[in-house]
Amino acid sequence: MITLEDVSKRYPNGTYALRDIDLHVDAGEFVFVVGSSGAGKSTLNRLLIREELPTSGHVIVDSQDVVRLPRGRVPHLRRKVGIVFQDFKLLQSKTVYENVAFALIVTGHDGRSVREETERALALVGLTQRRHHFPRELAGGEQQRTAIARALVMRPKILVADEPTGNLDPVTTWEIIKLLISVNELGTTLMIATHNSEIVNALRRRVVHLDHGRIVRDQREGMYAA
Amino acid sequence: MTRVAYVLTAAWQGFSRNPVMSLASTLTVALMLLLTAFFVVTDRGLQSAVALLESKVELVTYLSDEAKISQILDLKARIEKDPAVARVDYVSKEEALRRLREITAERADLGPIEEIGTNPLPASLEIKLASAQESGRVAEELRAEIGNGVITEVVDNPQVVDQLLTITRVLRISSLAVLAMMLFVALFVIVNTIRIAVHARRDEIEIMQLVGATDRLVAAPFVLEGMLVGVFGAAVALAVLGAASGPVTSALVRFFEILPVSLGPDLMAQLAAGVLSFAVLMGAGGAAISVRTQLAK
Repeated sequence: MITLEDVSKRYPNGTYALRDIDLHVDAGEFVFVVGSSGAGKSTLNRLLIREELPTSGHVIVDSQDVVRLPRGRVPHLRRKVGIVFQDFKLLQSKTVYENVAFALIVTGHDGRSVREETERALALVGLTQRRHHFPRELAGGEQQRTAIARALVMRPKILVADEPTGNLDPVTTWEIIKLLISVNELGTTLMIATHNSEIVNALRRRVVHLDHGRIVRDQREGMYAA
Repeated sequence: MTRVAYVLTAAWQGFSRNPVMSLASTLTVALMLLLTAFFVVTDRGLQSAVALLESKVELVTYLSDEAKISQILDLKARIEKDPAVARVDYVSKEEALRRLREITAERADLGPIEEIGTNPLPASLEIKLASAQESGRVAEELRAEIGNGVITEVVDNPQVVDQLLTITRVLRISSLAVLAMMLFVALFVIVNTIRIAVHARRDEIEIMQLVGATDRLVAAPFVLEGMLVGVFGAAVALAVLGAASGPVTSALVRFFEILPVSLGPDLMAQLAAGVLSFAVLMGAGGAAISVRTQLAK
């Protein structure tokens, strides 16, 4: 589903965000990407949705070479790769329902499928009752679930989460992780960049450890630290 | 359908949420359009004036009494061959005298000319020109022949035409310069209005791009907002033009007096259509420039 071949990302000032990355993720996998701040986790995510281009190497997502993708095809790539952030990125002037429906509206779905798919995604994340609330009226966990619903409503093949629990308390963190596990069980490939060692250690999933832009460890059923 | 509704709503929100900038750009566009319309109408008037005066431009070549008729006919034929000349008429000494009598008959103060025993008036060739710009050259060529026994004097009166042509040229150049400046200002204001609109919706744009909205859809509300500015600007300009067209037309007609300047419904309709499409294009263009530069970031 995701393949990175010999990928490096070097910034104009000479520093490497990523260096000689080789990574393969199968469809349906659940991968934790760990490493300290500045290790390259977010850059990796940005390469997958082509928010950035690598300096060298190939990034292949769902059999498509992202680097060679013409600009006009980028939106289609992004419809296949859902993304969730630490700061949720919700539109404050829109309700939960409107935030989720927005993704469908701006990608050209008709009114009926907007309604049906939005309801489905809200049910999946357990927010049907809160659909008419605005983000500021929600707890952090509920805001993140709204953001996850907005990503899932597009039925993506891949869900990329960048520190999804970074702003949440431990109890809410577990709610979100359980939700992500169920999303993965429904067939979506999952890549979660995280600092949260407790979760990584408890779940014992695949762990890719980045350090100064290099993969220093890639372990099945791994722990947060080696 | 939901997409269309989104674009329409977003465009209107963009326009109405920032009334000061929207008003400023609308009025700038309106002012520019009014100036354009004013220049177009004035230019039409001056063009008519030039055309009328050009049709009246004449050169008169006075002929020596000693010239033989064959020489005169030869000269006439040569002048007629010049492409700048429309026609050449021979006025004999007798004809000249007859014309003078007609004039003096109307004007008692000049007194009777019968007292002069001989006919002092020379014969002449009256040359009508096809293009007024050439009158100087034709006159020069004929003047070169003074003293060869046929031509005694060449009289041309191209000064009025020259002056009018100069005025038209100066007016055209200066109005083009003013219009170019106004166009630049209007575009600048539109680009900035849209920049503010884009900035106000940057979160929304970020999310649209993340979930896979096409660039075209992201840009559409802003381009539409630019077109709205154009439409409103044109509406203001046309309202002012409509209110002013009556008095302005009569003032212009009085100014150009007998000129065949028509500022009738035809010209006004053309002007309105031109103003509107120009404004809409400018609004859309300015917005597209603005969005393109900002989405590329």
